[in-house]
Amino acid sequence: MRIGILSFAHLHAEGYAALLKTWPSVELVGFSHEGAEEARHYAAAYGLRWFGRPQDLLTEGLDGVIVCSENARHLELVEQAAEAKVSILCEKPIEVSLEAAQRMRAACERNGVQFMTAFPMRFAPAAQSVQAAVRSGELGAIYGVNGINHSEIPKAHRAWFADKERAGGGAVMDHVVHLADLLRWYFGAEVTEVYAEVDNLFYPQEVAVDTAGLLLVALENGVQASIDCSWSRPTWYPRWGHLKMEVVGERGTVVMDAFAQHLHLYSRGAARPYSWPGFGPNPDAALLQEWLSSLREHRAPSVTWNDGYQALRVALAAYQSAQAQAPVKIPHPALG
Amino acid sequence: MRVGIIGSGVMGEVHAAGWRQTEAELIGVHSANLEQARRVAEEFGIGVYDRLEALLEQADIVDVCVPTFLHKEMVLRSAAAGKHVVCEKPLALNLQDGQEMIEACQRAGVRLFVAMVVRFFPQYRLAQELVSKGQIGKLGVMRLKRVAYVPRAELSDNWYLDESRSGGMLVDLMIHDFDYARWLGGPVERIFARVNRATDGPGQYAQALLRFKEGSMALIEGGWAYPPGVFRTALDLSGTEGLIEWSSDEQAPVRSFTLSRDGSAAAVGLPTAGLATDPYALELQHAYQAIVSNEPFSVTAEDSLEALRIALAARESMLTGQPVSL
Repeated sequence: MRIGILSFAHLHAEGYAALLKTWPSVELVGFSHEGAEEARHYAAAYGLRWFGRPQDLLTEGLDGVIVCSENARHLELVEQAAEAKVSILCEKPIEVSLEAAQRMRAACERNGVQFMTAFPMRFAPAAQSVQAAVRSGELGAIYGVNGINHSEIPKAHRAWFADKERAGGGAVMDHVVHLADLLRWYFGAEVTEVYAEVDNLFYPQEVAVDTAGLLLVALENGVQASIDCSWSRPTWYPRWGHLKMEVVGERGTVVMDAFAQHLHLYSRGAARPYSWPGFGPNPDAALLQEWLSSLREHRAPSVTWNDGYQALRVALAAYQSAQAQAPVKIPHPALG
Repeated sequence: MRVGIIGSGVMGEVHAAGWRQTEAELIGVHSANLEQARRVAEEFGIGVYDRLEALLEQADIVDVCVPTFLHKEMVLRSAAAGKHVVCEKPLALNLQDGQEMIEACQRAGVRLFVAMVVRFFPQYRLAQELVSKGQIGKLGVMRLKRVAYVPRAELSDNWYLDESRSGGMLVDLMIHDFDYARWLGGPVERIFARVNRATDGPGQYAQALLRFKEGSMALIEGGWAYPPGVFRTALDLSGTEGLIEWSSDEQAPVRSFTLSRDGSAAAVGLPTAGLATDPYALELQHAYQAIVSNEPFSVTAEDSLEALRIALAARESMLTGQPVSL
């Protein structure tokens, strides 16, 4: 399989590159990136060929590309890849507006290429076990879900995450889609209403995007769920943050801490003197495996454009709700 | 001073044990359930007062531990008898009753302490101190958890489950965290809440989203939703300069692993505080000291009324599906 990476703006590009380099069935042809200085750094660090323009990489006879640009550039790169008849794995959130996301789908359909949204948490065994518990009925009827995707502010790693123009927002845009997708996937149900408080409570002097966000959403099946997407972990926290979910049912409760498998490391002189190096399975690897299988088998991937789109609707509804100080309905005509 | 307890249920017994760790003289208990009162009296070596009047006559402080819907009557009668009052939370079922109770005590010139015990749990107290000292900077997002199991009917009459007598889960249980969040975050601007109820039985689970006038926000989770015996609490306070995390899931100073008998869960879940620090004793020690020395309480009856205001707003939001401004 000949694979390329369009842009290294998203830090996940580095993880994907590191994994793909080690798999014999994959030839990582190279990456495109705009900034020459950054590009040379990544090229050296990962032993990759750099293409200055996406078009040059897309004419290398690729089986698939991973779009790892800033959120607001996804449309541009997805359209180029689709026109070149190359299937796509796209970072989350899939875009920053519904219109841009819809144009991405149109481009893929027009050109007959597959589109997968990168929701790695679906491939985390912890989340899979929660989904199985929900689906098996062992928890009984579900009351609700308490969901947390906390992190530190990511701007130290990539400045654009805290730039409204390029990211489309802050913490809400960054994190809500992960939990929204898990909820949709656990229950096979859409989010129909969103209430949210969103503000820049943690870095009011430093950034101009939201850094605190709390959502209380309703699903079509009546389940209520909270989503805390705040960049509320300090930069000196032992790790970037965490992803936790508790599903509370009439017959049982499941408590998930997806990255609980870690050591406690105390290391003098390290960037984090106390840290939590993980030893659990890497969900990104399983995500890539599914994408590569779907390419090999010429089938739709298990996580689709629509999954990315529905999750984006939840994030955008959160901004609307916070603005209106009222719950916002998300219409799903198919539900009647 | 001499203390008499009204009510011999779960809280009457817990408070009796608490009073034992104060300098007060615990004289006895009055209860509508005479058999239960005798058991408590025997356990603590105190008297049983068949008649409320007799207890009101002999006590200096009356500790009201009856079910919530009876608080008003007992507080008013105690005040009318000129006795200081300690009243279990929630103060009342509605704001008007609570206001009347506060005013009656003021008119009678007696003190009214409402037992908002979470403020006396050492981890909650320490966290509040750290926040007020600026250790985490300006408060951003608070997360508070208090999820227990359905209170069980030890008696034939499980009043906890009757919203008209207990106020329901939001007023009886979540009020603790509404109060705590307000203690840290200041006055509440608006609240939005969702409650899901069991398809069968009294189980329920709620989440409330609060916004405070000073800017911070809170997600408060409460429920009678876990299997019997499971009670989890947690706090997570994040600010511009730091973070405080605590969860009851963390390891206790002593853990034992024994073959257990079935049905050993208490009738009503109460969080445990760890070794040698009984928050119920701490709150009663504080109340007693403040009454004896005529000093202000660290948590006032007005605070408890404001917590009730938030809980009732949460209930309204749950019913209307809209946020409620305070």
